[in-house]
Amino acid sequence: MMTLPRAAALLAASLLPVAGAASLTVFAASSLTDAFTEIGRTFDARTGHRTTFQFAGSQVLRTQLENGARADVFASANDAQFTPLLGRLIGSRDVFTRNRLTVIARAAPGPVNSLRDLAAPGVRLVLAAPAVPAGEYTRRMLSAVDRAGTYGPAFADRTLKNVVSEESNVRQAALKVSLGEADAAVVYVSDVTPALKRRVRVIALPSRFNQSAAYPVGVLTGSGSPDAARAFVAFLKGREAQGILRRWGFLSP
Amino acid sequence: MTAFLLLPTLVLLQRGLSASFLETLRSPAVLDALRVSLWTTGVTVLLTVLAGTPVAYLLARRDFPGRAVLDTLLDLPVVLPPVVAGLGLLLTFGRSGLLGPGLELAGVSLAFSPAAVVLAQLFTAAPFYLRAAKAGFGAVDRDVERAALTDGAGRWQAFRHVTWPLAFPFLLEGLVLTWARALGEFGATILFAGSLQGRTRTITLTIYGALESDLGPALVLSAVMVTFAFAVLLTVRVLAARRAGQ
Repeated sequence: MMTLPRAAALLAASLLPVAGAASLTVFAASSLTDAFTEIGRTFDARTGHRTTFQFAGSQVLRTQLENGARADVFASANDAQFTPLLGRLIGSRDVFTRNRLTVIARAAPGPVNSLRDLAAPGVRLVLAAPAVPAGEYTRRMLSAVDRAGTYGPAFADRTLKNVVSEESNVRQAALKVSLGEADAAVVYVSDVTPALKRRVRVIALPSRFNQSAAYPVGVLTGSGSPDAARAFVAFLKGREAQGILRRWGFLSP
Repeated sequence: MTAFLLLPTLVLLQRGLSASFLETLRSPAVLDALRVSLWTTGVTVLLTVLAGTPVAYLLARRDFPGRAVLDTLLDLPVVLPPVVAGLGLLLTFGRSGLLGPGLELAGVSLAFSPAAVVLAQLFTAAPFYLRAAKAGFGAVDRDVERAALTDGAGRWQAFRHVTWPLAFPFLLEGLVLTWARALGEFGATILFAGSLQGRTRTITLTIYGALESDLGPALVLSAVMVTFAFAVLLTVRVLAARRAGQ
């Protein structure tokens, strides 16, 4: 479904060769959209390479890679969608950044004002689906609250009963809260972009329940430009890219 | 060209109808998807007939100012990208949309509900019925109707016993197409109704979701859709042939 635009992009890129420059295709988790777009521009300006991104839920990208999609670099939002490819399709694993979760609620006064409220009856909650990294971390977070017993028995079950939609990527969940259709969603801290911040209320999660989401990156063994791909991964871990990541709400690896 | 058009569907059938077909078909995710899709498209088709038939009849038989414009506007959803349709529905019927506050007051909350699935299908699929029904009512010989009226039939009787049966093959063809389009609806549904198993997750949403974890249900449901699409096209063809033979 998503390979046609990519094929067109590759075709266009191959028709316009730039001397000494490589065309890099980077598959990256949707949560990296803003930060990577900026990092890509900087990287291209520094190296002369041409970097194209495909952003989607890490689970979608993994399926596409497993079914033969060609890419040079894969940056996943969790290990669950990365490790199965390691050794087979990906040669190396480097954690280049981390992320944390937060609750967002719609801007208009609503039923959700704290983490506890997620389980209140009648709340319309949108979460990323369990296969989506953000969805996996969210469910781990709910279990952690459950185990602590802070908000009463069966907190996770009561919260999950309020879910009205399981979205296929975390940005879709954020969109539905910003449109005012859902009362709340659990997203990454980095999803609360300046644009989103104006349209939602951010409810911080107590850090003892929060999950640290590590982002692994690796060069694909089938890469047509392995040197440029390795250069991109190295660039990600450098000071400049780390600064961009922090500006977009990510944490140091 | 022939191979290009045939190969992907054949591959889907071959992969989908593999050894674990029945087992996967009986899994809760697949059964829920079939259930949600069948009953939402059923409601969509019913609403289309009830609300669409009078509109199609008026458009086919009455001349009024702005008819051509209205006709074109009603056709618009056919060529509109579904995701645009979903955005339109959300901005109209969503909680913060144009009619949202009023609906909320009335205790009606449409977004993320099965009703939203039906609205998404209705918006994108009903025009197919309208088009076919208009053609049907337009094709009925007015002399036959007039003869019935002269013989003492009331207007409703003439419609019920003359116009409707004569237009019926067209209407049926339109309904079949509407049903097929409703069953395939994706973009408007995922935006306006969201995706929740057993509630709003239709066959196409399940296929999309399954691609992200376990390909099995996606392959089985894809094979079901290919088979279904073939049956629909064959039905339409047989209906058209019978109509031509009349």
